[in-house]
Amino acid sequence: MKTHVDRRQFLALSALLLGPAGRVLAVGDAAATPLLLTAASTRADEHFLVGFRHDGAAFHQVFKLPLPERGHHVAVQAERGFFVSIARRPGTTLVLAELATGNLIREIRAPADRHFYGHGVFSADGEWFYTTENAFEDSSDASGRLVAWRVSGAGSDATLERVHDWPSYGVGPHELLLMPEGNTLAIANGGIRTHPSHDRDILNLDTMQPSLTYIDRRDGKLLEQQGLPAEFHQCSIRHLDVSANGTVVLGMQFEGEAFMTVPLVATHKRGENLQLLLAPPELQPQLNQYVGAIRFAADGRHFAATCPRGNQFTVWDSETGTVVHALRARDNCGVIASDKGFVYSTGMGTVAELDLQSGSISEFDGAEQLDLLWDNHLCSGVPA
Amino acid sequence: MRMIIDSRLPSMTRSRLISTLCLLAGCLVASPLLQAQNTDWTPLNLAMTDAVVIPAYERFAAATAPLARNAAGFCAAIDADSLAALQQDFSAAYDGWQGVQHIQFGPITWFNWNFRLQFWPDDKGTGARQLDALLATADPAVLVPEAFAQQSVGVQGFPALERLLFSDDSLVALQNEPYRCQTVQAISRNLDDIASGVAQRWRDEFRTTVANADERGFFESAEDATIDYLKAVVESVRRIQQQKVQPVLGDNQAAARERRAEAWRMDRSVQHMRTNVAALAALFNDSAPALSSVLQPADLPNIQQAFATLQQHLADAPDSMNTAITTAEGYAAFKQVDADLDALFELLEAGVKGTDLYLGFNSLDGD
Repeated sequence: MKTHVDRRQFLALSALLLGPAGRVLAVGDAAATPLLLTAASTRADEHFLVGFRHDGAAFHQVFKLPLPERGHHVAVQAERGFFVSIARRPGTTLVLAELATGNLIREIRAPADRHFYGHGVFSADGEWFYTTENAFEDSSDASGRLVAWRVSGAGSDATLERVHDWPSYGVGPHELLLMPEGNTLAIANGGIRTHPSHDRDILNLDTMQPSLTYIDRRDGKLLEQQGLPAEFHQCSIRHLDVSANGTVVLGMQFEGEAFMTVPLVATHKRGENLQLLLAPPELQPQLNQYVGAIRFAADGRHFAATCPRGNQFTVWDSETGTVVHALRARDNCGVIASDKGFVYSTGMGTVAELDLQSGSISEFDGAEQLDLLWDNHLCSGVPA
Repeated sequence: MRMIIDSRLPSMTRSRLISTLCLLAGCLVASPLLQAQNTDWTPLNLAMTDAVVIPAYERFAAATAPLARNAAGFCAAIDADSLAALQQDFSAAYDGWQGVQHIQFGPITWFNWNFRLQFWPDDKGTGARQLDALLATADPAVLVPEAFAQQSVGVQGFPALERLLFSDDSLVALQNEPYRCQTVQAISRNLDDIASGVAQRWRDEFRTTVANADERGFFESAEDATIDYLKAVVESVRRIQQQKVQPVLGDNQAAARERRAEAWRMDRSVQHMRTNVAALAALFNDSAPALSSVLQPADLPNIQQAFATLQQHLADAPDSMNTAITTAEGYAAFKQVDADLDALFELLEAGVKGTDLYLGFNSLDGD
């Protein structure tokens, strides 16, 4: 039995079979659908940034930009027609490229004593761009940094100038986002100290103190900080999202003992305490203590938390704090809201859409055939 | 084309859907090929389940039953002979676990069963601390099965019982401390409850889940299920190397530490690894069809040779890892095992790369 051969034959045959008619129809539909962006790798460790559209049934690649190192998240500045792909830790490259074509504009390197954490975000007016960074030679609690870059130019002239360098008020800052009022950044300080000379090893497992931190993006001042109860101090807060009404959801990764039951998801409203959430007892252990990405649905109430280690895709209700949907999706991680529910991507090469109303899943044709492993995040290529 | 798979209701399988499309389009040439591909995974999964996995779990349960039974009568009259007999029962039960330790999917992941059977590695000595705390309470109420199942994982499984049965002062301590002996009984019964529970769940529930893997439910597809079996082999080779060999060997012989071995008190760490590797080879080969058939035939001879070499070197290695690592020759024997495990892992990993199966990307070293 040589399944791999048979499968390739199937893919080739199905492309021939369904190509012409299906494709004409699909392109017409897809052109109107939002551009999505994601980092991807091959099994040979080549790294790309891929732009694609989907029509609910088929995957249509728009561009495929080679990256100098593995990507992670992408920040889009649609009005200026470009995006920034931020290198995954301990990467040091920001790749600027044109939004419409994926053509490379320029690469910008971090200073010698810094690396990025894979995340960045623009201000609403597009004048500023913010990155989380590791000042890895600094062994103090100020090693986590928030850096503000001034944006200038547009399209192929777009560039970033490093201007402000503030503390993130924690160690190991990861995802950051702009709150709806426009002047506050929410930052997930993961609490994990790493140094490029020690690969990705955790150097402070016993003392890590993750936090959700709110910072004024105009002057870098600390506005509010929420930590975790001592028993959960090894829950690294990595990813977050915010709804239009200002509810923040957090996705965590536990670094303690494998048998422990710990919250991996939390919600927060400014000025209130964190609400730590647990899935039902039959589901919680299946999540393998790891959430890879977290995103609100279009309704601003439900959110998805992807669990690549547990091969589970979970949907939660932020108002009740309960799981409303869970499905098996091997190595799923990237997720973003769609009209029907969520689009998610996997390290197995699939991109699919979950319809929240019907519970049905459509795997997009044409995604797996690219032999790409979709990395951590799916990002929107259109203005919020 | 639109593939719709309902996540809640039984629906068309992918294979059926693909066949239907082919029939609609008149591609009769293609359809036998497609069906062959898409229907191969379930027979393979069931063959492994029926010929290898369920029998191994049944052997495990069969080995824990005498331990529980004999432990029940053990505390009435404890002497060197009865302790030696119970140690034998314990060794057999632990061997049974070693034969399924690599299967980290399915019922073993339910109810924290895997960690309750064996909380290890335990670098911080959590198990010892929890066991001492339990013994200090001397509270009989926590030893009844329902309560004991809720205790810390560090007191429930093999490492705790090994500590109670194989410490230097075990005989005297068990004779003088009734509660300590009752804890032996509680752990033995707990091990048997879990072992028989896992075996029963595989037989009565999870086999059906595997058989119906193409009806999207617990699994995404039958291929998704096959990946779990494949991971059980490939990743376990690495785990044995990284947990059972390398920490003991250290960077050099002076840095070797017997207490980092899996079962250093009873000094059966080597027997455990022999059982582990035999179980991996069985899962890889001993069903028809066999898991090995998912790899390219050209890759198999080297992999089979690497399995054989590893097994031979493990068989030739000294039975006592504790004493072996104190001699240059013994240390070298386990350095060889380390190298063999490495070679086998590399070959398996390369073999998997030659297929469309993929063991993980975001799940491996996420961010």
